[in-house]
Amino acid sequence: MKNDQKHQPLNPDLKATLPTVNVNDLVVSIKYYVDEEFAHIQVREHTICTTCAPKPCLDFCPVHVFTQDGQGRIMVGYQACVECGSCRIGCPPHNIDWQLPQGGYGVAYKFG
Amino acid sequence: MASKHTFDAIVVGGGPSGSAAALTMARAGLKTILIERGRFVGAKNFFGGVMYTHALADVLPDFWERKPPFERPVTEQGYWMLSPDSVVRIMHKSEHYKQEPAEAHTVLRALFDPWLAEQAVSAGALLITKTTVTHILQDAKGRVIGVRTDRPDGEIFAPIVVIAEGVNNLLTQKLGLIKNDLPPRFVALAVKEYISLPAKDIQARFGLSGPNEGAAIDIFGDATLGLPGTAFLYTDRNGLSIGVGLLLEEFVTHKLRPYEVLARFKNHPVIQPYLEGGKPLEYGAHLIPETGYNRMPKLSAAGVMVVGDAAGMVDAVHREGTNLAMTAGRLAGTTAVAAHQANDFSATFLKQYRQSLEESFVLKDMKQYRRMTDFLDSSPHFMGTYANFLNDAALRYFTAHGIPKRDMEKQIVGLLQERRSFFGIAQDMVKLLRAMRG
Repeated sequence: MKNDQKHQPLNPDLKATLPTVNVNDLVVSIKYYVDEEFAHIQVREHTICTTCAPKPCLDFCPVHVFTQDGQGRIMVGYQACVECGSCRIGCPPHNIDWQLPQGGYGVAYKFG
Repeated sequence: MASKHTFDAIVVGGGPSGSAAALTMARAGLKTILIERGRFVGAKNFFGGVMYTHALADVLPDFWERKPPFERPVTEQGYWMLSPDSVVRIMHKSEHYKQEPAEAHTVLRALFDPWLAEQAVSAGALLITKTTVTHILQDAKGRVIGVRTDRPDGEIFAPIVVIAEGVNNLLTQKLGLIKNDLPPRFVALAVKEYISLPAKDIQARFGLSGPNEGAAIDIFGDATLGLPGTAFLYTDRNGLSIGVGLLLEEFVTHKLRPYEVLARFKNHPVIQPYLEGGKPLEYGAHLIPETGYNRMPKLSAAGVMVVGDAAGMVDAVHREGTNLAMTAGRLAGTTAVAAHQANDFSATFLKQYRQSLEESFVLKDMKQYRRMTDFLDSSPHFMGTYANFLNDAALRYFTAHGIPKRDMEKQIVGLLQERRSFFGIAQDMVKLLRAMRG
């Protein structure tokens, strides 16, 4: 009985139909007022990230703010953040410190 | 310590709910301040988006004369069920939708939201932008008495604070009006592109007779890889809004990249011709609270009310949100005015706000659809299974194979049964019915 297929992995053939996208081509369309003084999102504790095997933040962030450096440490490119809040909610060990940027800074949609 | 920054009411956030609250209070003579963290009102706001005018008319009866920056009236709407190579369309077009002003319009929020805030300002509200509220101030008894902002000397006092902070409701959480942050299974992440396209091309492709007609299409099935979510394609005046949203949990679990899901949808053979030659002007992302009636925050306490996305006021079944938000803003504003008249800002008095919401469509609809998110969450196969089945069945139905029709009908039944057991289908239908009927 195919009753509850919850959390069954996606069919790899289906996943293979996802095209490769250079997210920078999308991010350049977004207007920002970057606050160079204040990183409004930060990893709370880098050692916790090492215990998180899937690291889904590397994928689900819609502007690819999270990357890994050569040592596998999570880097946060907060300048591209659109303040959606997904990382704060979606990080499995809740290891993202998420604040609002200072007034006037951050994303400023032209169309919205 | 007396502060010169004292008002009758403070509104945190210049979205539709905040502006509706500020407008309602300012018009009634309350000294009202509307605080927006963006560079301008609307800078942080992003949606599909279709806006319903009934709630705007309740806030601003002469809104049409004030020339709101709408994109197009929605004169045709419906659903497309996508399989990987096909579509079944259920569309509704009617002369009925052509009355002026139309009941629904497509809207771009960075253009609409500043207009609505301007209406609050012309009613007498004070608008300050580029200002983030960092704390809600409470007295020793826990009553809300004002806010602290990130400006120097940034404390502002008022006996009423309306929190219209949006889906990332950190202030609502800090106040303890809701225990936890939203879990990823009760919030959707949506990404969208606004693509510029000449109006005449939009009209030709969508079968619209001119700029006074528009289409709003919600799309299921292959658009979201069959996962719980929807995609959409809406016509704007000189462009298209195309996007896709899934429960955040799906992105997390399957390690999906939202922009790849969107690109895949845009490349679909049914979708691609509509976008041909268009120039992408803006990409963005936003969360949609799928909180549901049973998990909403407490809507008021002494000196404070919560409105709009901050309170999870979304009806995902009918893609409604801004109309719930504006209605909640108006009702919070009305309650604040009554509280000033009674000089009573207690938790007990402000419960009137929730009572008036319960008498309106806002909480009635949210209550009716309270099982919908759970339904999608517990039946993640639903969209994909039935969208694919409909397309396969349509192909059999519309093709002459030289086989008897009775056999064709059996094949269609077989197509369904190989996807889902009889018991599974019955269970899906019962759960869907319960989610819809409430």
